Amino acid sequence: MKQILLILATILFIGILTTSAQNFYGTVTNAVTKDKLQGAFVTITNHAKSVYKKITDAEGKFIFKNLAAGDYEIVVEYVGYTNYTNHFRITADNVELTVQLTEAATALTTVNVFTKVNGEKETGARSQEKNATNVINVISAQAMQRSPDINAANVLQRMSGVTIQRNAGADEAYSIVRGLEPRYNNTLINGIKIASPDDKSRFVSLNVVPSDLLQKIEVSKTLIPEMEGDAIGGTVNLVMKDAPDSTIIRAIGSLGYSTLLWDRAYTNFSKTDIQQKSLYERFGEKHVAQPTDFSRSNLDFKSTSFVPTGTLGVTYGRRFLKNKVGLLIAENFQNQYYGTNSIFNQVTPDPNKGIPVYSDYSLRYFSTQQLNNGLTTHLDYNINDKNKIIINNVFLYSYLAQARTIIDTAILGGNGGRTVPGTGPVTTDYTSTTTHQFIENLKLEGRHILSQHFLFDWAGVLSLATKRTPDLANLAINTKIDTVHTTNDPNGPYTFKRTPNYFDQISRIWQHNNDKDYDAIGNLTYKTQLSAKTSLDIKAGGLYRHKTRYNIQDEYDLKPTTNSNGVKQVFTDIYSAGWIVYDTHGTQAYDINNYQLFEDITAGYMQFKFASERLDVFGGARFEKTKQGYTLNTFYPTGINGVTKDYSDWLPSITTKYKVTNKINIRASYYKSIARPNYYELVPAPSYSSSSANISQGNPYLKHTVADNYDVRFEFFPKNEEQLFIGGFYKKLKDPIEYAYLNGTTYQPVNDGDATIYGAELVYTKYFGKHIGITGNYTYIHSNISSIKAYTDVVARTTHDSLQQRPLQGQTDNTINLSLLYRNDKSGFFAQLSYEYIGKTLALVYPVYGFDYYQRPQSFLALSAEKSLPNKHFTVFGKFNNLLNTATVNKINTLLTVSDTYNLNISLGIRYSN
Amino acid sequence: MKKTRLILAVTAITAALASCSKNDTTTVVTHTIPSSNPIKAGNLSGFVKGTLLSDSTYVITSDLTVKLGDTLASQEGVNVIVKNNAQINIQGVLLLVGTAAKPVSFNSDSNTPGSWGGFQCDSAQSVTVKWAKIFNTGGPDPSGGPRKTIFVAAPIKVDIEDSWITNGQDDIVRCQKGAMVTILRNTFLSNGSTDGECINLKSGVTGDVAYNVIYSQAGTGVKLETSATTPFPQTEVNVYNNTIVACGWRRGAAEPGRGCSIGVNAIGHVYNNIMVNNYQGLEIFTDADTVHTTHGNNLFYGSLATYTDNTVTPNISINLAANFYPNDGVGKAVSTDLVSTGVGNQDPMFKSFDGKVATANGASTSNDYHLMSGSPAFGKGNSTFSPDLGAYTSDATKSNQH
Repeated sequence: MKQILLILATILFIGILTTSAQNFYGTVTNAVTKDKLQGAFVTITNHAKSVYKKITDAEGKFIFKNLAAGDYEIVVEYVGYTNYTNHFRITADNVELTVQLTEAATALTTVNVFTKVNGEKETGARSQEKNATNVINVISAQAMQRSPDINAANVLQRMSGVTIQRNAGADEAYSIVRGLEPRYNNTLINGIKIASPDDKSRFVSLNVVPSDLLQKIEVSKTLIPEMEGDAIGGTVNLVMKDAPDSTIIRAIGSLGYSTLLWDRAYTNFSKTDIQQKSLYERFGEKHVAQPTDFSRSNLDFKSTSFVPTGTLGVTYGRRFLKNKVGLLIAENFQNQYYGTNSIFNQVTPDPNKGIPVYSDYSLRYFSTQQLNNGLTTHLDYNINDKNKIIINNVFLYSYLAQARTIIDTAILGGNGGRTVPGTGPVTTDYTSTTTHQFIENLKLEGRHILSQHFLFDWAGVLSLATKRTPDLANLAINTKIDTVHTTNDPNGPYTFKRTPNYFDQISRIWQHNNDKDYDAIGNLTYKTQLSAKTSLDIKAGGLYRHKTRYNIQDEYDLKPTTNSNGVKQVFTDIYSAGWIVYDTHGTQAYDINNYQLFEDITAGYMQFKFASERLDVFGGARFEKTKQGYTLNTFYPTGINGVTKDYSDWLPSITTKYKVTNKINIRASYYKSIARPNYYELVPAPSYSSSSANISQGNPYLKHTVADNYDVRFEFFPKNEEQLFIGGFYKKLKDPIEYAYLNGTTYQPVNDGDATIYGAELVYTKYFGKHIGITGNYTYIHSNISSIKAYTDVVARTTHDSLQQRPLQGQTDNTINLSLLYRNDKSGFFAQLSYEYIGKTLALVYPVYGFDYYQRPQSFLALSAEKSLPNKHFTVFGKFNNLLNTATVNKINTLLTVSDTYNLNISLGIRYSN
Repeated sequence: MKKTRLILAVTAITAALASCSKNDTTTVVTHTIPSSNPIKAGNLSGFVKGTLLSDSTYVITSDLTVKLGDTLASQEGVNVIVKNNAQINIQGVLLLVGTAAKPVSFNSDSNTPGSWGGFQCDSAQSVTVKWAKIFNTGGPDPSGGPRKTIFVAAPIKVDIEDSWITNGQDDIVRCQKGAMVTILRNTFLSNGSTDGECINLKSGVTGDVAYNVIYSQAGTGVKLETSATTPFPQTEVNVYNNTIVACGWRRGAAEPGRGCSIGVNAIGHVYNNIMVNNYQGLEIFTDADTVHTTHGNNLFYGSLATYTDNTVTPNISINLAANFYPNDGVGKAVSTDLVSTGVGNQDPMFKSFDGKVATANGASTSNDYHLMSGSPAFGKGNSTFSPDLGAYTSDATKSNQH
């Protein structure tokens, strides 16, 4: 019976069938390809002008239940297709309708403010990729929800051409797009650059963004003039959830555990005595710090045995006042406990051979609590058919509490090293820190159809980011283990003797920073039909951004009190440790990390899009003027106390899209883009190493990077969610910014000549029948740069700077993501097994010619599964990350320098959807 | 006999004639040459150049800077008092020249260890300090860390001679980046809080460290290293005829200091030193340039067989003799060394010595390291440098003058 219905349904026809309920249902398909269209908007209106709305599901189906008898108008809208209208009558029977939409090349040529793609669904994502002007990859909320991931960073690492760079504690994560470090990419929320909570860089850690707040993530790999020009690798745009057409209520809750913390206890410390403000801020500059001014309980480390992870989220959205006002509020709370166990060995060049050898063996144990809270609010008001005002507010709060234990044994070094295994000077560092991070992005925008051909849109944005780290407390104690021979034979048997633990020092740092942007944006679009099948769009606009930021740091060093002979005390516990305050006024008045800066960006652009049945040509240019500078709080009598920089760039862009068929695009593009130096990188204040002759300092003469980017991509969209992309790119970077050791001793960011980077990307999604699918991507990248290294000629006994060819820092050669999908829409079961391979990556540059730190290839496996319960409102799910307990391993030459272990993460939860 | 008379007569006549002759008397006429840019006694701050005048007193109220091309000179007997933890930045020339009778003096107003910033000569053109008293340096720098007393990071000449540097904190003389040093006949007493080396030379420093007395340094007396990333040019220094006593205790047993240490591709030529009661004596680390490093004729002595630190529980006992050449290094005693085999054996016989081992930063001391006659240190030296050992030799012109 059903099969017969389906056959009937392929005809554009109103079918009336005999059943007892009065439901209206149907399917929306592409008139030519017969693909079922997911995410189409179906609106029905009765004579009383009551409006009902639905969105088609993955099978292109919609259903309106229990309709009153009467006549109805139906409108079906889908981006890129001509609207479908019809009417039908409900009597005593169910009504079924099959809607075939016609794709129209010219459908987008007249302005329409309310054009919408359902970004929450994968079909919407495919449609956006296909119809976009530039080269873009999109991942939808649907795919994120079903993936094993809970934050934006984890989601991004499964995208084509993207890898994620993490710090040692795994509490920070930044995206590397196409082998280019975070400095070469930008991060947007709702299309607007977000302020950075980092105290020195421009970056935003992506693991503070809960994926449940996102409608989609777009990674643009080519730029068009209307986009900000400071992305060489790409632009990551986090698009927050939008107001729905019908009321939605969703909730999510889950519980989980990091299995590493089954194997060892979680290290905790008391936060009750932590002073939120520094002594300088509490008592003023005249205050002479006393030993009793510093709390002890936050350096008293204890074990906690049970630390479950939990998430809780709600989303509510609806339209009010005859659909004129749309509202969406999404709130997501994540409380995670995780740990890392690491080997972190240090190396030093062996002067006689010029190759690195171990100087320190070190073990690190980090215990981290990360609490993320995200709240997004969307409000829109359709003044009329031609005018719309939208307010979006994104508020992200992240709290981090971290206990670190680092046990370092010197193998070589100025205070002696190891003689035989088990001996040597051992320093143990205990650190406790809490950090509060706030990101706020408030965007007010308007869209106005001025006439049939003109559209004006504008936005005003306030973007704010702050970070506060009250009392980062570090305690260092040291001991030394020697051998004691048990006979008179110096080569004979021995036992070990360990000295007491000595109290070496304590440092306490209060830090806070603030980054604030004001943006004003305006765009004017002119759209016109040139002929039946050709159209022209012209768009011009501009942006002005004023950024201010500061960083304040206040550090106190506590030295052990000494015994009567002046010898430092033996450490027993934190409560009996005695100390004096070495710098009794702190460092706030003159800390070299304290600075204030501004950055003003003025940009304007003009672009055109010529569209015909088979060929779209898109081009234009953007002009960006940057004025940036800083002043230091410290006064250097003859040094550089401030810098202002001023530079302007013309950034042309041209893209062609050849539409071979309705399912195949071939794109080629060229664009120019830039990358600006990180803020503190311009500050030349030297930081001297106490143990060696090394200095690290910024470089006020650092130039911004300019890149020429070339891209080609073949795109095939067989049907619905399926895709096949094959792309290639080539980039040439002038003045890339990399770190180097000048003269082997001064560690400084420099402009290292030119760099080239090229690669290929493959993206593939295919469903076999109704249930099984695979989705995956493969990226190959090759880059090359000449960088300054210290070259030692052992024979001639000289060391001099020399250029070494190497890949760019952060570049991975081969990346594979492959997911096996199983879905059964009928029973509501979905499972995804995700494999990820990250090839050899240049992790860090080493000062000596011929050697660098490389991250070894890694394979990750993750599993997620969900099942909707019979009433269709509840879905239970499970997420299992890092099934293989994969570690991150770095080596230099053959020496192991880093091995970070995180182990398996488990989470189980339930979702509600109305 | 007749012949003898004749000689006597001639001699007498000659003597008579000589007694009425007169030596040349030359009277030259000179103008009084004024000092270059004389600096008036009183408060100093900001940028300064010129000459600090004899016997004048100056007060430095905030950081002082001598610009590139400028000179800060001092005449004898100048007395400088530093307030507010200020430091003296030298980018030009520092030329402090006192005399034995009237040394130049730099001290803080509070006269407590670690109460001012010292001479930060990172990028100076030259540094000369003679007959100067520099006390109580090492206050915290802008990042909260302790400051070195004299810090040089440039390939310039650094002469530090006949001076007294006491009660500083952290490193006392720290030179790197190819400085050429002449550090002679100084007395360094009770420096370093619970860390800091006395003479710390890194990355391509060359020169001589000789005839100095180093007493009770928290860390190591003389430390030589090259940069690991830039092993050439090497640090290569002659360390000879120093008297190094009671160093390396205050960092505790976990991080003992040495009389002298050579590491990281550095070359030392270590001769004729007297090392007494140091935590560890002469350490040549495995990563030193052991091929080119030479040493010999050094005297090692402990006035106690074992030092027991009874302020910790359990008490720690350190066998001084076992640490003359510490076992975690590769240096070994050579035949020309004078290595004490027990209390009383190879005692250098200082004129006065309290026999103390660990003492506090800033503790006063009145030991006299002149050698008494009969000291085994006489005549056992490497003659390239001196026939004798220690800072006080039989050649009084070369010896430490204090």
